[in-house]
Amino acid sequence: MKLTEIPVDGIPYDHLRIEKIPVTPAFAPRDPELLPASSRVLVVNPDRICMPIGAMWAVLGIHRAIPFVQGAQGCTTYARYTFSRIFKEPATIATASFHEDAAVFGGRMNLVEGLRNLVVRYWPEVIGVVTTCSSEIMGDDMTSFIGEARMKLQAEIGPERTEQIAIVPINTPSFAGSHVEGYDRAAKAFVQSLATDRDAPTNRVNIIPGLFYPGDIREIKHILQEMGIESTVLFDISDTLDAPLEPPQSIPYYPPGGTHVAEIKGMANAAATFALQLDAGGSGARYLERKFGVPAVVGPVPVGVVATDTLLQNLGKATGCATSPALRAERGRLVDAMADTFHHTMMKRVAVFGDPDYVSGITRFVCELGMTPVAVSAGTESKNFAAAVETVFSEYQSLFLDPPKVFNGSDLFEFEEYLKTLPRLDLIIGNSKGVDIARELEVPIVRAGFPIYDRFGYQKRPIVGYRGAELFLYEIANAVLDHRYPDDRTQQL
Amino acid sequence: MPFVDLKCNEKIPERGKHIYVHDPENSVIPACNVKTIPGDMTERGCAFAGARGVIGGPIADIIAMVHAPVGCAWFTWGTRRHLSDLYPWATPTRLANSAFNRRYCAVTDMQEKDVVFGGMKKLKQSCVEAFRLFPEARGMIIFTTCTTGLIGDDVQGVARQVEKEVGKLVFTAESPGCSGVSQSKGHHDFNTQFYRQVKALRQRRPELKMREEDKTDYDICLIGDYNMDWDLQVIKPLFEKIGVRIVAVFSGNERIENLVKMIDVRLNVVHCQRSAEYIAHMIQDGFNTPFTRVSLYGIEQTAEALRKTAAHFGLEERAEKVIAGEIARVEKAMAFYREKLAGKRIAIYVGGPRVWHWIRLMEELGMEVIAGACTFAHEDDYEKINARSKPGVLVIDSPNEFELEEMLITLKPDLFLAGLKEKYLGRKMGIPTVNSHSYEKGPYAGFAGMVNFARDIYQGIYAPVWRFQDGIPEMPQREGED
Ligand code: SF4
Ligand code: SF4
Repeated sequence: MKLTEIPVDGIPYDHLRIEKIPVTPAFAPRDPELLPASSRVLVVNPDRICMPIGAMWAVLGIHRAIPFVQGAQGCTTYARYTFSRIFKEPATIATASFHEDAAVFGGRMNLVEGLRNLVVRYWPEVIGVVTTCSSEIMGDDMTSFIGEARMKLQAEIGPERTEQIAIVPINTPSFAGSHVEGYDRAAKAFVQSLATDRDAPTNRVNIIPGLFYPGDIREIKHILQEMGIESTVLFDISDTLDAPLEPPQSIPYYPPGGTHVAEIKGMANAAATFALQLDAGGSGARYLERKFGVPAVVGPVPVGVVATDTLLQNLGKATGCATSPALRAERGRLVDAMADTFHHTMMKRVAVFGDPDYVSGITRFVCELGMTPVAVSAGTESKNFAAAVETVFSEYQSLFLDPPKVFNGSDLFEFEEYLKTLPRLDLIIGNSKGVDIARELEVPIVRAGFPIYDRFGYQKRPIVGYRGAELFLYEIANAVLDHRYPDDRTQQL
Repeated sequence: MPFVDLKCNEKIPERGKHIYVHDPENSVIPACNVKTIPGDMTERGCAFAGARGVIGGPIADIIAMVHAPVGCAWFTWGTRRHLSDLYPWATPTRLANSAFNRRYCAVTDMQEKDVVFGGMKKLKQSCVEAFRLFPEARGMIIFTTCTTGLIGDDVQGVARQVEKEVGKLVFTAESPGCSGVSQSKGHHDFNTQFYRQVKALRQRRPELKMREEDKTDYDICLIGDYNMDWDLQVIKPLFEKIGVRIVAVFSGNERIENLVKMIDVRLNVVHCQRSAEYIAHMIQDGFNTPFTRVSLYGIEQTAEALRKTAAHFGLEERAEKVIAGEIARVEKAMAFYREKLAGKRIAIYVGGPRVWHWIRLMEELGMEVIAGACTFAHEDDYEKINARSKPGVLVIDSPNEFELEEMLITLKPDLFLAGLKEKYLGRKMGIPTVNSHSYEKGPYAGFAGMVNFARDIYQGIYAPVWRFQDGIPEMPQREGED
């Protein structure tokens, strides 16, 4: 720092003059034998988090609901931190605060006391009890603990008020699956405990959006509204995790919106359940089908033209409702945009990574754009993903000279090292964990999927539906232009 | 009694002994560093976060091997802004985009069968593989978490085996999340375990000590600074200019081999006295190396820190010159912010020490701290808070979210200095916030950093957005559906 005077606006980063020091004198390739994740036990740069955070995400989409995490504080606090990083919103999540004694004697007292303390101060309408690795290892018997907590509450606040609070246990030991499965288990747990009767069938549909963002959920609601379909969106984070700033704010903070318990109760009466992501939410849909005969429509992930068409067709079949002129115009605009842009998207070599459903949905869309996926990677292993990308690739065979490389359940380290061996790559699409890779390879990254924390606004821009696809397309095309045409050749596009 | 019962705590009266209004005539220390009340919506993290995130994470050239299911590791991957200048190669011609300590996340990814049969074999193999994949690493620290703590893997044994096999330094930091009441336990565990292991290592391999001919009479170690947003880039030159040599920083942007030499210095200068004073004590007890406590935030306190350090080495004159020069550099900017910020009322919620580090700093800017809350402070932190506070300051130990909300709504501070989670809560109430853990746009330490801090505070308070928070003016409103 050679500044003789510190300006009023402080020291900008570039004035700090941090010189990068190489950790070794020269580049040495990584041990090729250990690059495939399957050839080592070590995981480097996982593209998945643990089950509880998926379940917490789900609970946060319910009206006046609070997740209660049965474990030590970190599993909760880290998750709250992650939600705040992504959504730039508060995330109210309670923890059982396991300390050493709980690790020895089990978490019974923590749950019983904890639920009581939570209820008498916050008066939530719903509590999703989310377990963690530690409570599962200790073998906490959640059903009996919750029963005991209910009895304690009855004694203190009376049976009636206790009755009004729905407490839903969700078993989420992280060593058995990722955040995707956590969400999936939450979906099943909620319908299983709350949607208990098919007593008055309706023409409503259930939507289980999966780990889609507020912007995506709003887009889906827009489609439903245009078609005149009434719906229950289970785990509707579109308001709870995107709340307006309009004080005075009453305390304790509850965000507006979220799915109401009464709506969840009615889910067994629906005409169909649509799980937009197969691995995150599909179990909830299938449960309702098995138990009450509510048809389950699981996937395809509605990103791009054909998948959105399919969604609309399926919605129409389930309800007898038709598309609207507005929706048809949106589709037309998307197709028009594709016609306007294909000279800049076709044959561009793209790599896609993230949660399985995001990747399979996006992969189909980039193929529709005429791009060439060279590598796709699902951070959580998934059969649905494998099948979905295989179908897409066979439909779009003409785009490929070599078959694209598919990573299923691998880590980002393997993925990145693979990308580094490619002769050419034009674009990466994925979450914030891929930014380093993109910068190092000097290719642009379009952010999509979970999680995105290093920029603003991505949780609000949809990629689903016709309008979402159109916005997404512009981002993709402009990223290519920014990167490949730094000069004035873009004066005519 | 200075203790107060908040309205939100009617049903958990035990919280009363954690909350007081400071009265110099009747000064009290709240219940602190005790168990969290389950379900109280605590903001506390886990011990592992203290060990891995706070102290282990900033070390520049080691592999942080998290022996756990994937989550605990993912959450600590590149999150805290403890920056470093040591970069791996990305391609033959380019260095990586993020420094080595934040670029990779190494985890044993414990699965169900490992939980049942034990994870030691997996850990051992993971460590060996990690050294093969990252030969640039100078060492490794193995961290345990609740899962591996509960199943009782002997990680120290594994560490010894790996060290033998690979020939690199391997440390362990066993501080499972549930082993303590807050992050603070992890700080403590890391300090004691690391000190013990460094001492043993120096016995085993004396060549790792600093050679006599390399020592100078002006060697210090800066303890308890983690290089948040490059704080060290403004702090280190100050010490160098007064004529002392920083041999090691515990642990911001430090190389593991320098940390082994911590014990060879003449003086330890302790910045964060909550997370790292332990090791300074142990070095003092074991090797008679004195330590001094400093604060490196704010103009006066930074000056004082330099004076204290200089006095130890007879470098007072040089220190005065440096201080005068530095103050002149920031004077114009500081004058601007003092005028803008005078009279503003501040609430601070941080881990612990920053509450007392920052009381005087706020006063330098003409502001007044009206409330202070700490996640994991101990008695000595509250003593320091009491010594620096004006009468009437509300102090909360280990606040839960509801208490913070009540504090904000009743005191209506002009600014809330808080962590990331709470900052969004404050904003929903229309109260400006500044991220005080990882900073908005640091560095905040030292003289130059103080200007950045003042700037971010100013931006917080004066952002035009706050004018628009009351909705559409004079407009009839239709009631909503919700
Ligand atoms: S992996 Fe398990 S123990 Fe770790 S944060 Fe997730 S739930 Fe907690
Ligand atoms: S499992 Fe334990 S160590 Fe891991 S995040 Fe949770 S509390 Fe922390």
